Amino acid sequence: MRILIQTVKYLLILLGAVAMAFPFYWMIITSFKPDTEALQVPPTLWPRQWTVDNYRQVFELVPMGRYLFNSAFIATAVTAGVLLSSALAAHAFVRMRFPGRGFFFAVLIATMMIPFEVLLIPDYLIIRNLGWYDTYWAMIIPWTASVFGIFLLRQAFLTLPEDLWEAVLLDGGGHLRYLFSVAIPLSVPALITVGIVSFLGSWNSLLWPLIVTNTPELRPVQVGLSSFQTEAGLRYNLSMAAATISIVPILVLYLIAQRYFVEGIARTGMKT
Amino acid sequence: MQNAPLQTDPLLRSERARFPGTGHSAFGLRRSQMREGWVGLLFALPHLLLFGVFLLAPVLYGFYISLHRWHVLAKSHPWVGLENYAAVLSDDIFWIALRNTAYFVVLVVPLGNLVSLGLALGLASVKRFQAFYKVCYYLPVVISIAVVAVLWRWLYNTQIGLLNMYIGAVVGGLREIGLPLAPFQPLPWLSNPLWVMPSIALMSIWWGAGGNMILYLAGINNIPDDYYEAAMIDGANAWNRFWAITWPLLKPTTLFCLVFSVLGAFQIFGQTYVLFTGGAGPARSGLTVALYMYQQGFGQYEMGYGAAIAYLLFAIVLAFTVLQFRLLEGRAERAGPDEKMDKPVGEPVEEEAV
Repeated sequence: MRILIQTVKYLLILLGAVAMAFPFYWMIITSFKPDTEALQVPPTLWPRQWTVDNYRQVFELVPMGRYLFNSAFIATAVTAGVLLSSALAAHAFVRMRFPGRGFFFAVLIATMMIPFEVLLIPDYLIIRNLGWYDTYWAMIIPWTASVFGIFLLRQAFLTLPEDLWEAVLLDGGGHLRYLFSVAIPLSVPALITVGIVSFLGSWNSLLWPLIVTNTPELRPVQVGLSSFQTEAGLRYNLSMAAATISIVPILVLYLIAQRYFVEGIARTGMKT
Repeated sequence: MQNAPLQTDPLLRSERARFPGTGHSAFGLRRSQMREGWVGLLFALPHLLLFGVFLLAPVLYGFYISLHRWHVLAKSHPWVGLENYAAVLSDDIFWIALRNTAYFVVLVVPLGNLVSLGLALGLASVKRFQAFYKVCYYLPVVISIAVVAVLWRWLYNTQIGLLNMYIGAVVGGLREIGLPLAPFQPLPWLSNPLWVMPSIALMSIWWGAGGNMILYLAGINNIPDDYYEAAMIDGANAWNRFWAITWPLLKPTTLFCLVFSVLGAFQIFGQTYVLFTGGAGPARSGLTVALYMYQQGFGQYEMGYGAAIAYLLFAIVLAFTVLQFRLLEGRAERAGPDEKMDKPVGEPVEEEAV
């Protein structure tokens, strides 16, 4: 009886894992199938004939390389911006007293509740007024103010012992030196978590780049992918090749730094 | 990174002692401290500026827009007061969108949380390959909605979709071994209006279950092993242990997850947008409030009307959040100190007290 229950339990757990991972397996193998095999009934679980022709076609039909470059560039810039602005602000909230400190922090936390729909129209008009419509700026700057970043880095900075701060002061150093030579090097895990969450959010965003860009050359890979869907039509092996290309960087990052992804969720309770 | 709440921080503790209350009375400081105040503001400035321009100001600006007839290309934007709101509330399509969204929330929140809890319980009980299962369960969460929808559009295809093929194969197999089943009719996942929202809900649960699973898992791991050991000595089986220990101690986590699931579910946009390439699905069955706002604002360029829709949604979400937090606080108070300590790791409760 005991063994039976254990077996059923493991089967269910395995079934869950298969249900979560199988669509990705399917996506990847289909992207390597030729047209006829991709639509074959019943489908083959392992390609009988491997081809990279789908990938060649994706790069020919749409400027995929350009999309990937845009996404990588935007996501990297957003991540750098978030880390810098959050580290500076988190340090100020931890080590300094300035007018309105408590008030600002309370407002920051309260805005985590605002749904993105409310911001969409006014932010779009602000971007137009700034003259940033259809530029990289529009996709980078608004996302460099991360409440999550401040929140997590502040927590990390709070755990550093007071002695370190006093040592820097005795040494004749100031805030900048403490921040860059003590606080940041000692908070690497928190910085990685914030960085990953920012990178992922930027890489995966679809709606905002769609609204603030017009030129295909500026568009990131998510926008490219959703418009490519129409072009590919029923040639699913092409869609799957394009989708696979778009997730490779995220997949690699996820497998390497899996625990930081999980940490990001566990510490904020927010989906990225 | 360990958890070090505010109370253990010497600087803040001493500051609190000196400035009881809100803590932003900066008067009566020495000259050097005043200087530090300005440097501090300088450090926080880049963030506060960005935050003010792109998060805080838009909240007010958006409301201002919603009180005007605001066509993007028009030269002037006349003030119309609450006319946009009145128009939205008497717009049949808005009510269709709201009904669809509410239906989605009702489907996705309880079922999604059940799946997340189930995955977390399963994960907590396995010893071997736990990391592997965790990677699998969490995988869909890191994937963009564009990829998820491109993938599921195909899985859901009535004729050549994988789901219908496999379900058909299973039904066929069961018929062959003599079960009295009707021959399999391909399921109209995305083509029948009645099926659209449940299909979107299923896809969304698959996509997001791993996120709440992490929170439930953290909650389960916070429960001391002694409780279970004591219960085992008393002869309680797994079923009893779950209902007597895990479930009640997990309640704060559950409520927290429910609040944020509701918040997120009301905002559903990307799913239908990509599945139906910007449209709303058959007979508007996939039209959600956010998608309708998008269509009005960026399809028709009626920014005032779109902003009014966004604010109505905001009001609904806010009402639900306040209601749920009331419930959450009420339960935590009744539960007593033991349960209170078991807050989920992520909950920023102590932090707000600055």
